Amino acid sequence: MPLDAIGIAGTALTVHRKWLDAVADNLSNINTATATTDDAFRARYVLAQAGGEDTGVYVAGTELGDAAGRVVHEPSHPLADENGNVRYPDIDYSEQMGSLIMAQRGYQANAAVVDRAKETYQAALQIGRN
Amino acid sequence: MFESVTSVALESALDGLALRQRAIANNIANVNTPGYQAERVSFEDTLAQSVRTGDGHATATTARSMEPTRLDGSNVNMDTETLSNIDTVLRYQFATQAASGTLNGIRTALRSN
Repeated sequence: MPLDAIGIAGTALTVHRKWLDAVADNLSNINTATATTDDAFRARYVLAQAGGEDTGVYVAGTELGDAAGRVVHEPSHPLADENGNVRYPDIDYSEQMGSLIMAQRGYQANAAVVDRAKETYQAALQIGRN
Repeated sequence: MFESVTSVALESALDGLALRQRAIANNIANVNTPGYQAERVSFEDTLAQSVRTGDGHATATTARSMEPTRLDGSNVNMDTETLSNIDTVLRYQFATQAASGTLNGIRTALRSN
């Protein structure tokens, strides 16, 4: 069933907030080291998909980044293996910062749509008033 | 009186504008959705034609934008959508005022004694 303008903008606010959450999680774990026997922290990427017939947008799923990450030689690290290596996630800091800005701007744009839809409804309520 | 060309045309305009408002909301909602094609609602031309023939009824039609896509496959243009959004709100307010004016005319006619 098609949603109204406020409902559609609401679905987009949810998607963009989830995207912001994923980016925040990725950035906060950018220096999370693991033992070489374990997987590296895997970055999360939110997949947006359009709902059919004016139903906004929803999160179709998430994709995980590379589990291999990058192996760094850090012999003093408590998790270092016998060769002195630990595993770090392979997250592109610039890419994440770019996504952060896009998610934030997308959220703001949809919050503005809610405001403008509200103006339209308020105008509709004035029909027939003296 | 209630089925005059003016009232019917205003109703068609309000319906068309509300539909456009929803399409714009959907476009802005999908600004970051890969492969999404923007929707365009048109009714002004058919409405003008309909008013000329003394009818006033007009059904809005929705089409997909054929604008060139961005790298991610979405062709939502944030600038045009935002402008169109504001433009639609103002047009809607204008149409509601016109509808109120028509109704006030009827009210005055009913009250006169």
